[in-house]
Amino acid sequence: MKRATTPTETPQVGRAIPRLESWQKVTGRAEYVHNLRLPGMLYGKIFRSTFPHARIKSIETSAAAAVGGVYRVVTADDIRTIVPEPYYGPAFHDQPILAIDKVRYVGEPVAIVLASDPHVAEEATHLIVAEYEELPAVYDEIEAMTSPAIVHEELKPAGTFPDLKHLKGRRNTNVALDYHLRRGDAEQALADADHVFEHTFRTQQVMHTPLEPLVSVAESREDSLTIHTASQSPSFVRIEIARLLGWPENRIRVRAPFLGGGFGAKLYIKLEALVAVLALLTRRPVKVSLTMEEQFFTITKHATTFRIKSGVSNDGRITARQCEVWWNGGAYADIGPRVTQKSGFTAPGPYDIEHVAIDSYALYTNLPPAGALRGFGIPQLVWAYESHTDMIARALKLDPLAFRRRNLLRDGRPQATGTLMQDAALGKVLDRIAELMEWERPVDRGTGPVRRGRGIAIGFKACVAPTTSLAMVTLNADGSCIVYCGTVDMGQGSDTAMAQIAGEVLRMPAESITVVHSDTDATPYDMATLGSRSLFHMGNAVRFAAEDARAKLRALAAEAGLPPESDLPAGDVFRKRYGMQAGNVIGTASFIPSYTPPDYATGLTPNATPFWMVGGAGVEVEVDTETGHVRIARLVNVADVGTPINPKIVATQISGASIMQLGFTLFEKMTFDAGQLRNASLADYKIPGFHDLPREMVSEAVDAEQRTGPFGAKGVGESGTFGVSPAIANAIEDAVGVRLTTLPLNAEAVYRALRAARNEPLEND
Amino acid sequence: MTPFDLAEPRTLREALALLDPSDATVRPISGGTAVMLMMKAGVLRPRRLVSLRAIDGGLAGVQAGTDGELCIGAMTTLADLGHADLVQRGWPVIARTLRTLSNVRVRNVATIGGHLAHADPHQDLPPVLSALGARVTIAGPKGERTVPVEALSTGYYETVVARDELVTAVIVPPLGKKRAAYLKCTTRSADDWPALGMAVVLETEGDAIRTASVVIGAATDKPTRLAAAEGVLRGGRADDATLARAGDAAADELGIVGDPQGSAAYKKQLARVYLRRAVRAALG
Amino acid sequence: MAGLRTIRFRLNGEPVAAHIGAHENLVEVLQGQFGLAGARESCGQGLCGCCTVLVNGRAVSGCLYLAAFADGAEVTTVEHAERGEGLDAVQEAFIEAGAFQCGFCTPGFVLMTRQLLAEHPDPDEDAIRHYLSGNLCRCAAYPEIIEAVKLAAKKRKLHPRTKEER
Repeated sequence: MKRATTPTETPQVGRAIPRLESWQKVTGRAEYVHNLRLPGMLYGKIFRSTFPHARIKSIETSAAAAVGGVYRVVTADDIRTIVPEPYYGPAFHDQPILAIDKVRYVGEPVAIVLASDPHVAEEATHLIVAEYEELPAVYDEIEAMTSPAIVHEELKPAGTFPDLKHLKGRRNTNVALDYHLRRGDAEQALADADHVFEHTFRTQQVMHTPLEPLVSVAESREDSLTIHTASQSPSFVRIEIARLLGWPENRIRVRAPFLGGGFGAKLYIKLEALVAVLALLTRRPVKVSLTMEEQFFTITKHATTFRIKSGVSNDGRITARQCEVWWNGGAYADIGPRVTQKSGFTAPGPYDIEHVAIDSYALYTNLPPAGALRGFGIPQLVWAYESHTDMIARALKLDPLAFRRRNLLRDGRPQATGTLMQDAALGKVLDRIAELMEWERPVDRGTGPVRRGRGIAIGFKACVAPTTSLAMVTLNADGSCIVYCGTVDMGQGSDTAMAQIAGEVLRMPAESITVVHSDTDATPYDMATLGSRSLFHMGNAVRFAAEDARAKLRALAAEAGLPPESDLPAGDVFRKRYGMQAGNVIGTASFIPSYTPPDYATGLTPNATPFWMVGGAGVEVEVDTETGHVRIARLVNVADVGTPINPKIVATQISGASIMQLGFTLFEKMTFDAGQLRNASLADYKIPGFHDLPREMVSEAVDAEQRTGPFGAKGVGESGTFGVSPAIANAIEDAVGVRLTTLPLNAEAVYRALRAARNEPLEND
Repeated sequence: MTPFDLAEPRTLREALALLDPSDATVRPISGGTAVMLMMKAGVLRPRRLVSLRAIDGGLAGVQAGTDGELCIGAMTTLADLGHADLVQRGWPVIARTLRTLSNVRVRNVATIGGHLAHADPHQDLPPVLSALGARVTIAGPKGERTVPVEALSTGYYETVVARDELVTAVIVPPLGKKRAAYLKCTTRSADDWPALGMAVVLETEGDAIRTASVVIGAATDKPTRLAAAEGVLRGGRADDATLARAGDAAADELGIVGDPQGSAAYKKQLARVYLRRAVRAALG
Repeated sequence: MAGLRTIRFRLNGEPVAAHIGAHENLVEVLQGQFGLAGARESCGQGLCGCCTVLVNGRAVSGCLYLAAFADGAEVTTVEHAERGEGLDAVQEAFIEAGAFQCGFCTPGFVLMTRQLLAEHPDPDEDAIRHYLSGNLCRCAAYPEIIEAVKLAAKKRKLHPRTKEER
């Protein structure tokens, strides 16, 4: 029975139970902020910049304000009556709630129309007239390093990142952050190497396109606010709104129900500051619900250029690697600096290399801002280093699998930062990929217009640190259990996982446990639901909170005079203690793993991360040499997720991530024309559908254990993204002998490469 | 979207009377998918929409004509068209084309008349119907006229249908012994607007191709007959050499236009390849 | 007010009326006036299927469907599925196969799957992919959805639907 509180001896972790919220999702009853309507609510429709870089000369809103049904038109001047310095951002306080003085990308919010009918609000935005004085713009990340077009006059690092202090007040640069790592002497080692290889790789700007577009609603009372928001980081939202308003945190309530997808788009501040201020200005609930199109103007994934140079010995050992990575952060930093730094240190790849040099730069450009997207910079890095590694193997006539095996990091060996690898099943994952690919079997590449080939790739990621999660696990008077945690279920199954963990400790069926959704009035602090951190951090917190609840129940039993081994059901203990069905036991715990920040000059640290994620892919492709179409005959995904809490959900996280990455690999791309985005809609920006699936797919987690994780588990949400792109490029080279170094690998790109390779290049238009 | 008048005439005559030859803010609407997309994108801001959905009698349905032709009422949904037994038996290329035209929900609602009047050069049916020699009947204040589908579109979203006229039917000649195929080439996700569509209708005599009707879609601003390619095919055999020459002719005879689905140079290559593949597909 | 009209139709089996503007689409009327949030406007272009609604037994993209066109029609949403406590075979199959993650696209898939099985009670994988190719899932639960459809087909064969459920 679904809601029984009867104890069970069945272990809860390792059960492939259906998600707890299944009924709600299949009946259309699940709560999403997208569906929220409040009495008296106003809809806000945003008026956006049409220039990529310009000074705002004037904003004429009176015609819009005069439209029947329009409640008010708001610009930055109005915002500043509530928040004098309305700049936010997790790394830099560089992003204004509405544009002030300048616009820095096409699509930047400049004004907003409020009306109780969203159609009226939208129509009125067309009557707003803004006059601009255009400024020179910069779009390319390499150009931005030295361009005279400066996106921000002054850098404004926030307090949240201790390592950014040295950047405060810096001027005349588009470099928002630079990260450096030096281990050994890469320069010298390259000079001494038997072979040196250097390649440059590029990736494109793409967007998460969660099917529930970004949305937030704010309502105010006399001196308090409630923000209902589709956010992966409610605690951060509360802290940041409190900072902006100068209010104590306890006057702001942030709640997040289910999210219709997140993938990193719904983090930090997106619409929350805007709706908060509007609710205070109007004293009515305000909803800003973006269209799919508007999402492209809100947050995206970094395009990158990665120049990678390796020294390799005659016996196939990588002796040195030099990495230069330029991250195109768009007009506002968002979490880009963390991507640059935290992902930057894995740039050399999961290889045991003595001499390493990494230079990683976060650049401002006049494009929509880039931030966190599933993988957090790792897929871009793996694209480069796993393509590069394969190219080296081919050049030296070494088997790509053997070359990787020879150089792969093992537990106990130092990664580039100097941190020793621990519980990172790189070897196992690589071996399993090879096994599933039947790597020993010869490949029939074909002789007709369709050629076949195969490729593999493996990547890894450090979990962001240091981060804190707190949880509460309560037992009610009848013994039923509630878990309170700020982790947001956006489809990754966190509610179910946390219930399984609590159930394991308390010996209760997971289905009997209620998980309360993130609500800062009730659920304690959590850093955020991102970067595959929650299963490990919040999972540990929930585990310890459940153990605390169990200990407190035992103490209560003792208070009630029950013998220690009596092991009565909780409800009976309460009845004994209080004389009736009454009372609560409240277990609490906080979890923050240890961490040592890297030295700024060397980038080195002995404790870079609480756990590593490992993910790899093997691919069999068919290339139509007459048209360049690439079909994925087989995709094999293997990851190290420690010991899965829910094996079924784990498998779907691995496969879901890999299919998403297929889109980024084969066709997704935001295309711009002088800063104007040309394809901001699903009609023109295509994401994977049924017909894009590989003919065959296998997704597996290897047998492994994360000893510091809850019951041996760690995160899985991103691991399926790591190896897909380079595995496909490697397979294409295997099939037709051409190497593509820029994503996406669409049919035309492949065809052009084929023509260029036989010295019959296709002309440009 | 702004409010508009929604008129729901009961007869064709009433509907025509509501249209205005000089007023671009009055538009007919049948299935509504294309009109809704245009209104939401802000490119269409109608003062009045004239719904054709309530028009009595005869504007929807699929029938065989007296000469074995296929007579399709303009208000026939694409789903009904594709499911009709008559179409599947007599014009299987139409049924096959419809299978990959947009998605089930759009086909349930979009009508053949609206589809043809919309004239997006990426659409699938116009090149197929053109290659089949189909024609449309158009009703207006001065009566009815007939226009070959091939001559219907004059450019992006432009047709010879005047603002006060309506497409009422599509007539497709019997296929007879002809063999037809339509190949749709997408270059991003599999389900996408085509980079090009190649419609081929052939009459063969033994090994030889007697007549060839070849129309390409999504390559320029409207579906276009590839007359030079037809010339190469006519009288020839479907061997590699002929098909290569026909492909070259196809690639060279048009001013192919690049778009997000492919550059002009790439589409020329696709034209070459897909002409050959479409002929082979038609001949089975 | 220009364009305001009353429409009368049957919604999930019950006769209802609504006052609407001519420009309103079916999703916003279902949400705004009837509190039914299973159909959601996501892509806004009829490509993702999140807005799927059945009108006269046919699946339509609610975000491209003028509410005015529902006048006199039979409109069915995912909320109609559940009779008493029961879930239908399709919903059960989706749960057992784990065929959703964030769930935002799920109502659309449930309705489309019902349509598919009504037309093809025993579809093979190709038929499933093809029929559902107009529904997008960004979480990419596609492989599980295929399994769910196959499972639903099996369940429906074992327990043919009663008259009430049709």
